[in-house]
Amino acid sequence: MSNFIEFKINGTSVEAKKGETILQVARKNGIYIPTMCYISKTTPCASCRMCVVEAEGVNGFVLSCNTPPVAGLNVQTNSETLELERTNIMKLYDVNHPLECGVCDKSGECDLQNKTLEFGVATQNFTTREQHRPVEHWGLINYDPALCIMCEKCVHVCNEVIGDDAIDVKFGGYSSTIIPKNSETLDCTFCGECIAVCPVGALVSSNFQYSANAWELSRVPATCAHCSGGCSLEYETKYAGINGANEIYRVKNNFEFTSLCGAGRFGYDFENRALRDEAAFEKAVEAVKNAKAIRFSSMITNEEAYMLGELKENFGLKLFNEDARMFQEFMGAYSSISGKKHYSGSLDAIKQADAVIMIGSRIATDNPAVRYALTTASRHRGAKIVYAHPLEDALMQNTITQFMKYEVGTEEGVMALLANAILKDADLSEQERAFFDDLDFGYLDAECNVGAEEIAFMMQSFKRAKNRLLIIGNDLIAHERSYNIAKLAAMIEKYSDFSLVVVPNEVNTLGVSLISSLDKDEMIENVVGYNAEGDFVISSLSDADMAIPALNQQEGTFVSIDNRVLPTNVAVGFEGHTLNDILLACGIRHYNTIDCTKELSCFAGFKAYEFDTLENYICAHGEDNRGYLLDEVSCEADGVLESLSDMPEFNGTVIYHSNPVLQFNAYTAKTKQLEKDTTLRGSAQFAAAARISDGDTIEISYGSCSITREFKLDNDLKGTIALNPTFDNAVDAGRYRFEKSKIVRVVHE
Amino acid sequence: MSKVYFSTWNGELINNIGKPEHEWEESAYNLPAQYDDHRDSKAFIGWDGVSLFNADVDVIRLAMEYAAQYQEYSEACGRCAPGRWGGRILYDLLDKIARGEGSVADLDHLKEVGKSMQLTSKCEIGKTVPNPIIDLMVHFEGEFMACINEQKASKHYNDSIGYIAKITAPCTDACPAHVDIPAYIEGVRDLRFDDSLEATRQTMPLAHVCGRVCPHPCEDACRRTNLDEPIAIMALKRLGADWETDHGYDFFHPMEKKSMSGKRVAVVGAGPAGLTTAYYLAAEGVAVDVYEELPVLGGEVTVGVPQYRMPWEKYLQDIECVRDMGVNFILNHRVSADEMREFETSYDATMIASGTRISKKVYCDNERAEIKGYWGAIDFLDWVNLYEKFDIKTPQRVQEQQMLPTDYVNLTGKTVACVGGGFTSMDVVRCAIRAGAKKVVMIYRRDEQTIIRNTTYEEYHEAVEEGVEFYFHSAVAEMKDENNVLKSLIIDKFELVPPADGGRAELVKIEGASYELEVDYLVPAVSQAADLKFIPSEWELEMTSWGTLKTNGKDYMTSRKGIFASGDCEYGPMTIVNAVGQAKRGASVMARYLQNGEITLSDDEIMEDHLRKLKVYNKKEKISGWLPGLARQHSEVLDVDIRKFNNMEVNLGFTQDEAMSEADRCMRCYYIAMVQA
Repeated sequence: MSNFIEFKINGTSVEAKKGETILQVARKNGIYIPTMCYISKTTPCASCRMCVVEAEGVNGFVLSCNTPPVAGLNVQTNSETLELERTNIMKLYDVNHPLECGVCDKSGECDLQNKTLEFGVATQNFTTREQHRPVEHWGLINYDPALCIMCEKCVHVCNEVIGDDAIDVKFGGYSSTIIPKNSETLDCTFCGECIAVCPVGALVSSNFQYSANAWELSRVPATCAHCSGGCSLEYETKYAGINGANEIYRVKNNFEFTSLCGAGRFGYDFENRALRDEAAFEKAVEAVKNAKAIRFSSMITNEEAYMLGELKENFGLKLFNEDARMFQEFMGAYSSISGKKHYSGSLDAIKQADAVIMIGSRIATDNPAVRYALTTASRHRGAKIVYAHPLEDALMQNTITQFMKYEVGTEEGVMALLANAILKDADLSEQERAFFDDLDFGYLDAECNVGAEEIAFMMQSFKRAKNRLLIIGNDLIAHERSYNIAKLAAMIEKYSDFSLVVVPNEVNTLGVSLISSLDKDEMIENVVGYNAEGDFVISSLSDADMAIPALNQQEGTFVSIDNRVLPTNVAVGFEGHTLNDILLACGIRHYNTIDCTKELSCFAGFKAYEFDTLENYICAHGEDNRGYLLDEVSCEADGVLESLSDMPEFNGTVIYHSNPVLQFNAYTAKTKQLEKDTTLRGSAQFAAAARISDGDTIEISYGSCSITREFKLDNDLKGTIALNPTFDNAVDAGRYRFEKSKIVRVVHE
Repeated sequence: MSKVYFSTWNGELINNIGKPEHEWEESAYNLPAQYDDHRDSKAFIGWDGVSLFNADVDVIRLAMEYAAQYQEYSEACGRCAPGRWGGRILYDLLDKIARGEGSVADLDHLKEVGKSMQLTSKCEIGKTVPNPIIDLMVHFEGEFMACINEQKASKHYNDSIGYIAKITAPCTDACPAHVDIPAYIEGVRDLRFDDSLEATRQTMPLAHVCGRVCPHPCEDACRRTNLDEPIAIMALKRLGADWETDHGYDFFHPMEKKSMSGKRVAVVGAGPAGLTTAYYLAAEGVAVDVYEELPVLGGEVTVGVPQYRMPWEKYLQDIECVRDMGVNFILNHRVSADEMREFETSYDATMIASGTRISKKVYCDNERAEIKGYWGAIDFLDWVNLYEKFDIKTPQRVQEQQMLPTDYVNLTGKTVACVGGGFTSMDVVRCAIRAGAKKVVMIYRRDEQTIIRNTTYEEYHEAVEEGVEFYFHSAVAEMKDENNVLKSLIIDKFELVPPADGGRAELVKIEGASYELEVDYLVPAVSQAADLKFIPSEWELEMTSWGTLKTNGKDYMTSRKGIFASGDCEYGPMTIVNAVGQAKRGASVMARYLQNGEITLSDDEIMEDHLRKLKVYNKKEKISGWLPGLARQHSEVLDVDIRKFNNMEVNLGFTQDEAMSEADRCMRCYYIAMVQA
């Protein structure tokens, strides 16, 4: 059977792929059909009925958004009767719609406004009783039912794309409205996606409301700086008052095809407001020249990483970045088996997957982009999703189909068990087969606490799958046995139909790992910190010895989880010095920071593209046209699997470094709108084991660290592991995130 | 035939306006002229027209109230722009005219908005609500104009009048359990599987079961058939249930359990009818004890329906959902007559849902139970399923009687003949294949078409694929044994002979065509009878002529007050969904009986019965507004070589893509019907 269907729209021959609707084909072919409720990334809401078309030989109208064509069909998208009925629908949409466009946030970019003008609805000749419904205030989000046109886009994205499933349609005919689902008030992760997709001014950002008109704002296309998802966004800026500086008023995204989490959407004001300081700059140049090492974070651009490399070359100093170094080592070990530099998967591959193993991450908060991709896979593909982790995550319940709970520290064993099951019938070399044959399953089952029946259940549920995928989280990268784990992951990718995604920890961990030649961090004197700790600190955060711009004040590129090089741009000006100035002062050639873009190494897969040639937009049909994808690079595959080490034991009270929703690091911590919950969150079982209760002030000691926090009882949590935020109190990057810890209640005198 | 004053129902125009009552022309349809035992209907208005049984009806108010119902019953609407606002405008404008403030322009707007709704609404409810309203405006223009011209209220505008409305759909109407099918399909289409499941569970607690093994009478009433092929309604039910199970959710109950009322009910039998009764009564705050004779819950679906068709672990989810509502189960307990007497005092009511567990005879010569190899279908399936699902071994007694070499049903090398033609017989022959039988034969009096009609196309073809031989137009004439061990059967052959005077063809034995068939087993699966020996004989419960408990088929109370019956022991061996439908209704009647001691039907149930009689599905209706030619999706079935010798589930269910495509074909044929009583 052919996968294509030929038919005609307005007399022109067109082709539909299997599963495509008439509307999709029309759009692909540039044929306009008006819609009010359609959004490309969800199933059709089918509520507006504007997209009706005529089809030859068919009685009545056909809804184009949810009807696939049949071969030979002749569709007409325009006629007098269609125009009349669409106009009638617009008249209904306009009945009693408040005439407050003058102050409405949406004015100027409102679908209702546009369509009302398009169809020339100038009067209202019938009416209904006004309902007088109050505006709801849901934290970062306000909802005005009077403005709501019940298109249901918000409900669809919340459930199908984000996964919060936090809002619902309250059915009621004319009095239908949007309500929080199973809750008095909105209880969600506040991604703000509902605001983004709202075609009218019903759902708005409470912070932005009444602060600017759409047409006053300038748009700066950029890449989100908070995690490695590489989400595209636009900073919308405006001069704040007379002589005021340019300020970010809000963030928007191409919601038709992409999504954004709340940190991206509401956490935009992390720019560095420090002023130009020549003396500090002089000191910084000296410090760099004399430094033994530069320690830096992965929250920098590729160009900065490149320049730090140049400093290393010129001054013979060391470069420390444990986060990127761990990732580098992991991928190095991966390459030694796979024979190539980059893993095969991407966020898009996750969305298309119907069988996924997600291991070693609290992914919903670690990387919302991955979570959203999993949500899409779950809803749209019916994906079977195995979530392997020592801790359950309530946010993932409606996405995952199997929770595989393993003991802390046994990631290597779990990976061996998974690989063994997946590669059961694979064509392995004798040596590779011997590795699996030699596994002590009794020992692994017991130590990892993953039973054979769990693995069997997983394999059974994956049976019908056509697109399988393994996602590796930070717990495996930062594991002391990461190189062997990486090899197991590479084996799975190489010898099965699984593709692989490794989740980079920070916004540019992946880029840095490809660019920088890193040294193992050691406790030495005379270290310059670059957005990191050091004896002299150059940073875009406060408390710096020299200030540099934050990531919303810079041009440059990141490498995202998709192995895509993404450009970002300056949203807010910065008057001070940059790393480039230090290099200039040191006599190292670059003229502009972005001159480094084309210098990035082709051996890592970079292309010699000038920054200014990089595009930064999503096409009208959804293709990602931002930056470019790294070239695949082959390398030698000379690695061998090592036999497993003994499984470590983590007894007593264990904490897991993990941030609450929307928080990632010191930059998100700095923003105004994002909630900052710094409590240690644990279950009742944890509280009992640690002998603490809700609201206690406690002292947590692990390794050589000791911090004081408030304890919060979280009924969504189970077991004896508590969650310790790191956004307010950075933990050594690259450290394994589970810690044996001592917890003592601080008694107030 | 119904006596009407005026009717436009289903395109019929009967206009007796101005005629004396004895000259009234009658309508050809079963219209609900009599609402219930003590009330006449004055008018009936619905998707297909309007009927007035009385000249005094205030037609303007009737139209207005009908529009109001569209607003009221908005769980089925509010989902599209034309319906949401259009419906409201219809109501507001009609009310304006009815209260005496209307203008001629309002009539034009009504027609204009009505037409838009008819053309562009999302579901049939929005498309059809304007139909009878416009009928009234056309045929009673004078009354409308009088109100407008004189600016007076309509004749009964301020009177207190009872209007009773009900939402239905052809599929919902045809489903014995009246499941809100469009709602659960919409849940799949919207990827809101919790909503989908809750829609199912409003009237059907066995979502896993009826998403797999229901004979889906709804699909015979699917309006999509008028366009191309019916929706795969049954298979879409499974998605919500699988979603709940796959994600490890607590059970999604569609209602809040009421606080305990202090009332107690005993249920005899934990099959579909017993489980359904228990679920809905427990939700009403009634303490329910369910007594089950077998060591396992679930009744015939557990011990009758094989694992490859209905995996036990999935059925268990349905059962646990019932338990989760707060139902108490008592296993291994065969209720005695003494206990039944005692129940009358220790409980406030009793539901008998004991099924039909006696295999009926074939009625051939030498048909004696003591012959080894003669094995009733129910007993046969019991032992197959108890072993396959629960590892319960076949006891020595049965092993000896049926010459089993092992402690489970092992038919290696044996020849099995089954007499039947229904689902039970299909289960027997397919289980026999899986038990290793060398040759399996189904002996059936009628032909292939009939067996497909009595079961399903899939069931029959899967059996053929697995190697079952079907002998049509055949019957067993005699069992031949040696020392009480079955050796062979004499099979008679029949042919269909049309009688000389026309009429229905009759089966006539072909003389001389009989032959002998060597077999090791004969399994009668012709039908089952109810075992009701546990009912006290002095109660003298009224019985049907086929030996089941008699009720009026509406409230499911037996001839003895407080003793109810539902499912197969009431109806005779029938489908799961029939048992569920009866028990759901029974539970509802019982809940009210427990409150006030009276046997009543709710308005919703009365309307349900009226509509069932009227029939909602009209197979001649021409469909507009939908593109024909979109093929029905078929779910993947395990390859015969993989499934034949094990209990792996045969039907793998829809993939998400298939499910979504299938759900998108649903036309949401909701309708509102309303009676003025």
